[in-house]
Amino acid sequence: MEHRVVACGAGFAGDRTEPAVALAASGLVDAVGLECLAERTLVPGLRARRTDGDAGADPRLERRLRPLLPVARANDCRIISNLGAANPLSAGRQIARLASEIGCSGLRVAAVVGDDVIALAKHIEWQEPIVGEMLGAHAYLGADALRDAVDDGAHVIVTGRVADSALFSAEVLPILDDNLDALAGATTIGHLLECSGQLTGGNFEMPNGDSLTAQDFAELGFPLAHVRSDGSADLALLDGAPGRIDILTCTLQLLYEVHDPSAYITPDAILDLTGIRFEEIGPNRVRVSGARARGRPTRLKVSGFVEQPGFVADIEIGYAGTHALQRGRVAADALRMRLDNLPQKDLRIDLVGVDSTLGSASLPSPNRTPEVRVHVSARCSDAQMAQIVEDEVYSLTLSGPAGGGSVRSERRPSLAVVDGFIDRDLVKTETVWERAS
Amino acid sequence: MRVGSISVGRSGDKGGTLDLTLVALDEQGYHWLESRLTEVEAQASISRVMPGVLRRYPVPGLRALKFVIEDALPGGVYATLHAGLHWQKAAIWVLLDLELD
Repeated sequence: MEHRVVACGAGFAGDRTEPAVALAASGLVDAVGLECLAERTLVPGLRARRTDGDAGADPRLERRLRPLLPVARANDCRIISNLGAANPLSAGRQIARLASEIGCSGLRVAAVVGDDVIALAKHIEWQEPIVGEMLGAHAYLGADALRDAVDDGAHVIVTGRVADSALFSAEVLPILDDNLDALAGATTIGHLLECSGQLTGGNFEMPNGDSLTAQDFAELGFPLAHVRSDGSADLALLDGAPGRIDILTCTLQLLYEVHDPSAYITPDAILDLTGIRFEEIGPNRVRVSGARARGRPTRLKVSGFVEQPGFVADIEIGYAGTHALQRGRVAADALRMRLDNLPQKDLRIDLVGVDSTLGSASLPSPNRTPEVRVHVSARCSDAQMAQIVEDEVYSLTLSGPAGGGSVRSERRPSLAVVDGFIDRDLVKTETVWERAS
Repeated sequence: MRVGSISVGRSGDKGGTLDLTLVALDEQGYHWLESRLTEVEAQASISRVMPGVLRRYPVPGLRALKFVIEDALPGGVYATLHAGLHWQKAAIWVLLDLELD
């Protein structure tokens, strides 16, 4: 049966850069996908694009591609990435320039545009009212939007918003059997690959506390998949790469963020994952089959980014030494009194190291702890209010329990992501080519 | 018995929805989990920590249970009042550390 080898070289915008280079250098991989665009990673790009029409692509583009381009080219490995973020056209030009500069002459870059649907705003069915200024609206494109670029032999395909799984399944489209279950299989493999190290032993712990070693985590291999034309695949690591691929790591990643496992909605197909079978066929090698499609959505999901006034102010102050926990608790109580004019729903005060993550479901705390941090977050209507809350925490250094210090704070702007839907026939995509000189 | 002594888990999210997965190590463990960690039981534990209505999806073929809690993260991940970002990555321990008879 015909097959293609697809690998994951990045699972989020800030992911490590070496694994993609190792995968491309292996000579085994037909395409390496780089998933670099979380829901909100688009927002800085949208802001940058407002003042500079050439800005808006992922600012890490060069750091990621400078080491990867020559290795991928030498090994005939295609690169497929959403590094284009809010400006795939500009990303295409940047990649061609970079390729020219480092001697990859003739390298062909395909930029896929069409995910930006702000011009079609009146056709978008928003799931909640839009309050505030809309920064942008982007549809999740399917793998079909990348098909021309794959068929026409692009060395690099760069996109904006597409379904993460499409960055991996697109490579397989030309060999897939002509039925929706095969497409469901390829899409499922894309979904398994898209979070890089989460398939290979990252974010994973056995009940007895066993996990990979520090050195394994430091050098964790990212996954690759031998995908067959029926949509089944063998998931693996490169020989010698540290990591763990077994039925447990695969099952956790298969079901990651899918909500209803019998109807996971992607632009390419609605996936029924309940009949998936995993089989361990060798060390760090798992066969996956049994994906089924429950039709193809007629609408695409759209994410709208709405800027709202205000901030979340997030502040901490630390206490150490004998009685640290006691002093932290007193500091937290004093802050509750100082900030009692704020609505309770807009304020959270807790102790980092005790209960700041899981609240009342936290494990019992020890009586003595060498240090503790008091955390305050408050929803603030403007910068002045954020300053007041920050100053209240700082004031404890003079007017609070002994030894308060190591204060830090940050302000996060208020931004809503609103889901919407658009008829997929209205979303026209286009492939724009660049060539390195 | 502690849920996390017979299963592994992971937290995820989409928008304001929290998405939790447990996978039992063996068939016996799955049947125990499936019968003890009911939708009502899971909702009660989750409600100690966050808002939202929980729905459970058993996947016997994969020895897995999914728990999807809508509006658990009001305003989405970035609107959180927790310290830093992405506290929800640890939310699976609400279920893993649960002791059930």
